[in-house]
Amino acid sequence: MVRKEVPVSNRTLQWKCVESKADSKRLYYGRFVLSPLMKGQADTIGTAMRRSLLGEIEGTCITCAKSERVPHEYSTIVGIEESVHEILMNLKEIIVRSDLYGTRDAFICVRGPKYVTAQDIISPPSVKIVDTTQHIASITEPINFCIGLEIERNRGYRTRTTNQDASYPIDAVSMPVRNANYSIQCYGNENEKQEILFLEIWTNGSLTPKEALYEASRNLIDLFIPFLHAEERDLHLDDDQNIFTAPFFPFHEGLAYIGIGESKKRIALKRIFIDQLELSPRTYNCLKRSNIHTLLDLLSKSQEDLRKIQHFRVEDVKRVLDILKKRFAMNLFT
Amino acid sequence: MLRDGNEGMSTIPGFSQIQFEGFCRFVDQGLAEELHKFPKIEDTDQEIEFQLLVETYQLAEPLIKERDAVYESLTHSSELYVPAGLIWKVGRDMQEQTVFIGNIPLMNSLGTFIVNGIYRIVINQILQSPGIYYSSELDHNGISVYTGTIISDRGGRSELEIDRKARIWARVSRKQKISILVLPSAMGSNLREILDNVCYPEILLYFPNEKEKKKIGSKENAILEFYQQFSCVGGDPVFSESLCKELQKRFFQQRCELGRIGRQNMNQRLNIDIPQNNTFLLPRDVLAATDHLIGMKFGMGTLDDMNHLKNKRIRSVADLLQDQFGLALVRLENVVRGTICGAIRHKFIPTPQNLVTSTPLTTTYESFFGLHPLSQVLDRTNPLTQIVHGRKSSYLGPGGLTGRTASFRIRDIHPSHYGRICPIDTSEGINVGLIGSLAIHARIGDWGSIRSPFYEISERSKEEQMVYLSPRRDEYYMVMVAAGNSLALNQDIQDEQVVPARYRQEFVTIAWEHIDLRSIYPLQYFSIGASLIPFIEHNDANRALMSSNMQRQAVPLSRSEKCIVGTGLERQAALDSGGSAIAQHEGKVIYTDTEKILLSGNGDTISIPLLMYQRSNKNTCMHQKPQVHRDKYVKKGQVLADGAATVGGELALGKNVLVAHMPWEGYNFEDAVLISERLVYGDIYTSFHIRKYEIQTHVTSHGPEKITNEIPHLEAHLLRNLDRNGIVMLGSWVETGDVLVGKLTPQTAKESSYAPEDRLLRVILGIQVSTAKETCLKLPIGGRGRVIDVRWIQKKGASSYNPEKIRVYISQKREIKVGDKVAGRHGNKGIISKILPRQDMPYLQDGTPVDMVFNPLGVPSRMNVGQIFECSLGLAGDLLDRHYRITPFDERYEQEASRKLVFPELYEASKRTANPWVFEPEYPGKSRIFDGRTGDPFEQPVIIGKSYMLKLIHQVDDKIHGRSSGHYALVTQQPLRGRAKQGGQRVGEMEVWALEGFGVAHILQEMLTYKSDHIRARQELLGTTIVGGTIPKPEGAPESFRLLVRELRSLALELKHFLVSEKNFQINRKEA
Repeated sequence: MVRKEVPVSNRTLQWKCVESKADSKRLYYGRFVLSPLMKGQADTIGTAMRRSLLGEIEGTCITCAKSERVPHEYSTIVGIEESVHEILMNLKEIIVRSDLYGTRDAFICVRGPKYVTAQDIISPPSVKIVDTTQHIASITEPINFCIGLEIERNRGYRTRTTNQDASYPIDAVSMPVRNANYSIQCYGNENEKQEILFLEIWTNGSLTPKEALYEASRNLIDLFIPFLHAEERDLHLDDDQNIFTAPFFPFHEGLAYIGIGESKKRIALKRIFIDQLELSPRTYNCLKRSNIHTLLDLLSKSQEDLRKIQHFRVEDVKRVLDILKKRFAMNLFT
Repeated sequence: MLRDGNEGMSTIPGFSQIQFEGFCRFVDQGLAEELHKFPKIEDTDQEIEFQLLVETYQLAEPLIKERDAVYESLTHSSELYVPAGLIWKVGRDMQEQTVFIGNIPLMNSLGTFIVNGIYRIVINQILQSPGIYYSSELDHNGISVYTGTIISDRGGRSELEIDRKARIWARVSRKQKISILVLPSAMGSNLREILDNVCYPEILLYFPNEKEKKKIGSKENAILEFYQQFSCVGGDPVFSESLCKELQKRFFQQRCELGRIGRQNMNQRLNIDIPQNNTFLLPRDVLAATDHLIGMKFGMGTLDDMNHLKNKRIRSVADLLQDQFGLALVRLENVVRGTICGAIRHKFIPTPQNLVTSTPLTTTYESFFGLHPLSQVLDRTNPLTQIVHGRKSSYLGPGGLTGRTASFRIRDIHPSHYGRICPIDTSEGINVGLIGSLAIHARIGDWGSIRSPFYEISERSKEEQMVYLSPRRDEYYMVMVAAGNSLALNQDIQDEQVVPARYRQEFVTIAWEHIDLRSIYPLQYFSIGASLIPFIEHNDANRALMSSNMQRQAVPLSRSEKCIVGTGLERQAALDSGGSAIAQHEGKVIYTDTEKILLSGNGDTISIPLLMYQRSNKNTCMHQKPQVHRDKYVKKGQVLADGAATVGGELALGKNVLVAHMPWEGYNFEDAVLISERLVYGDIYTSFHIRKYEIQTHVTSHGPEKITNEIPHLEAHLLRNLDRNGIVMLGSWVETGDVLVGKLTPQTAKESSYAPEDRLLRVILGIQVSTAKETCLKLPIGGRGRVIDVRWIQKKGASSYNPEKIRVYISQKREIKVGDKVAGRHGNKGIISKILPRQDMPYLQDGTPVDMVFNPLGVPSRMNVGQIFECSLGLAGDLLDRHYRITPFDERYEQEASRKLVFPELYEASKRTANPWVFEPEYPGKSRIFDGRTGDPFEQPVIIGKSYMLKLIHQVDDKIHGRSSGHYALVTQQPLRGRAKQGGQRVGEMEVWALEGFGVAHILQEMLTYKSDHIRARQELLGTTIVGGTIPKPEGAPESFRLLVRELRSLALELKHFLVSEKNFQINRKEA
């Protein structure tokens, strides 16, 4: 890359945490500075970081509660002040910190009377509960209160509905970053403008703003890494570039027999869809089901392949061959 | 009114009080009144006499509790016992016994009845008050014609009119008019009496010929003439007793009964003094009315305004129930008369109890509550809906108007509505203006007048007296519009002030000394719905109307939130709706639970049961959450548990969300709304909906239907939730198509009854032909959820077979989604068009993403500027953690008062939170915000703020629908209509034109043949899709094609169908 010499500050790019505080166990705040940046760079990084912080950070939360004794979410358990649904809503509030992927099991097993809080959750050592004061239920009678929990690490949110009985999904929200913001400060003279990027991060306590910043940058770097590698040669994208529908078909490798000189014809074949062959609906459906969409796809199959398709009869193969012969003077690869 | 203590302080009357007072009036007075009318009944031989001893009637305490009545689908009613006496005339002794007359449905404290387990409410009807009204009209020659309309108690009308030749006519039916002299003559006056009683006998004595004169010669002749004209019969009827009776029944009873109110009005209007108990029209009335009419013609007297509220009366629950009670007593009377005669004939000695049956009363009330148009199912979408429903006033119903024929004038707002009927709150559509809502302070007085309170300002004392005025009276006073000004705050400075006032339907500005009355509250003239709108004075009335209607459609959310900006009426609205549980007396909370709260106080412990995920009739979820804790002391009137859509005893219909008014990629075109994902995953607008599915077993000709879990017709997967009895298990999760109740209907096994392809499949798959058809209750589309209740009701059948009824309640959790309707409180409504991830939403300068994005173009043309004020003040309140309760119409204190209220708050919020962007002097209320996708600032500063937004009951899940195949109407062979019936979407005339215009021939053909009434093509299509092969071209033309051809012909384009023979080229014309 040839570029004109741009006056670059000889100071290297540095970041620093300017401010960091924990308003409560569930609200951490951090402010970071990145400088010196050249004009426009702060915006590039700021937007990317903000979007990455808000959208890409993974979090852990309780996704499911299990209890045998409860008939349904909208019922009550004698001796507990809250309804089952309220307990589930309280469980949703619990913030969990865990670095491990996959589902972890935890459970609550207490005997009343007692105010059950997040502290009473017995969890595997890899899982830590951030705010143990979170109220779950208040048991007023001497009864056993046992529920199993599933803890999962995930990204974003999902609303689940299962048909499993005796297990109650909790709409999991794994978004540890509450809010993120950036601002830019310019300094320097007319011809040498420099910028400072301020990043503000509020998290829910399951990770510190510093960790969030680290993870967000890691995510961004992971996204950019493919560009650093050499261009992939064996991707069969080269002659499809002008076709705007370029879905990958799983049998692309089968095309290797067609010579490079024929690439033009291939494009032509690729543009003829089997809808135009006036096949009977049955044949058509069978072909479609086995991922044969264009004439090219069809030609890449042998007669043997066609016969193997489910519900495809010998007559149908014959008919397909007839049509191909009549219309395109072509034959299948045998 | 800064006075010591609260005496004289006006409080808003309870919102359900109007209904409740009405019912009390019925129980206290109405019952006795009607019972007193019950005659003594004698048998034909006059041996015994039956009578009701009315003085000590009793209403027994209901046998079942309100809650049980709802659960078991029963009527919450009380038994009426009246002592009855049977007097033996021969022995002169009297047998006395307390008899059970029947059940009277009871009203609960919220003004509703429970009939067959359903909450019902009887709404107030507004009727023209009986009496006489004078009006003038221009006839086709431009000469005014004066008419006096006599309106009877039942709404029948007869008119007196004077034409330009000064002849006076009485119009008794639509077509015919008779001479005025005939009417009093037919009523029994002779000519002498008539002439003695009128002021202008010479005008009355105008006869065109001798024949006319003869007509009034005698009563018989007059009646004959009258009858002839009234019932439009030709020929010469002969005077007879039966004719007289018919006339009596058809005219005098229908049109001449004035009732007590009518008599009073008549006396007042015509200046006569006929005793109050004369409730029928008398000849003297007619003559006095004629005199007034002549006076009118000469320019004396004033015309009446029919639409003035003084000429209207309210028929409340009390009147309606009393009428029904009277009707029931008449039926009872007939029954008693029948049985008394029967008993004597069969030499059977009756007792009062076996003469009386309870059926007439019970069935009368049953049919009244079930069928009468004014008895409606209580709308229980949210607490507000419930209270507003009971305060409706309707011009419709028996004796009233109909939506299609009512004139514009009657729908309009009238100055006399001030403080009585809300000028804003009415329904939209065909009934606009006919169904109104009572103002918050209005009361129903005697004679059915609506009264509004005012403060009387008297010279003598400084004390202000509160008076309730009927519309007739406040005409004559100077009424100061809207309470207050500075006066409410300091009463000393009141001289030299000029105030706006109302006098005889005009608005004037006069000096303070001339004021007689003062309004008591700025919201006095609004209904509840309208008074919940903050900054209503900045909104166009049409939008305020929409808002007051839409607040009633708000769905209670799973976690409600108080509004930041409100009007201060939220608390009372929530309290009077009965949604939350209130402590009846002070005491200590012993125990709380989701089901009940135990409260001890005054030496005893009471258990307050709480509502648990109950279904309302709009499928919303009613739930009460305890708000008090164990071992805490509560005061009387404290909120123990919050109901649906109430928080801390205040109405909380929606949520405060961060909104921005800006266009965003066209996603808020035409009132669409863009929302953030946060509203979905944060459960901000999540609501619960409980649906009821019901099935009943019947007896068929082949035997009774059976409920079982063995249904051979269906896959095991669909039956997985059934228990041993064939009913869905409690707590199971069900999806669309799952069987809720397995039911088999016996049937004779007949091969041919199945469709051919069905039979084929049976043979192939080897399914045994069953002797029964499955008629299971399956979960319809979109009904997925958790089964929360199953009720099995077994009714006592007539024969040995007991029909069963099974109800399944399924609860659904619904997050907000694309297609749902949301609305603010200013008539700003929209449909969710897209849900964006939070990082893509526009964000504020502190990084907070916006929750909703509205179109700014939705504001200027709709003129609901209140939303802007609310939005800005909401932002300030959110940052400062303050809640504002603003009484509207602060603009009258000074110019731009609302703005002056909002900006300082914003400024303070900006200072306090050190966020300069909250208030920027160059564009106050607006802020520069950024695009979340690029981080670029938007071109213009944008209004941002916190608005209180509601999610309305119109949700996509209830509306989304598509059809590929389905049933056809039997007669027209067109697809059925409606989502519930799996109906099709109509391709109407215009849609066909569109298809024609675009030239999409195949689609057009498909619509007009296979998918419509071309029966053969349709059936062939079914065959070919199953067997396979190309779809055949339809032969012959369906009706819709014929229509198309005729349309072309009417454009002078001849479309013909010829068949040319190949052999001899003969042309055969075919009819297309």
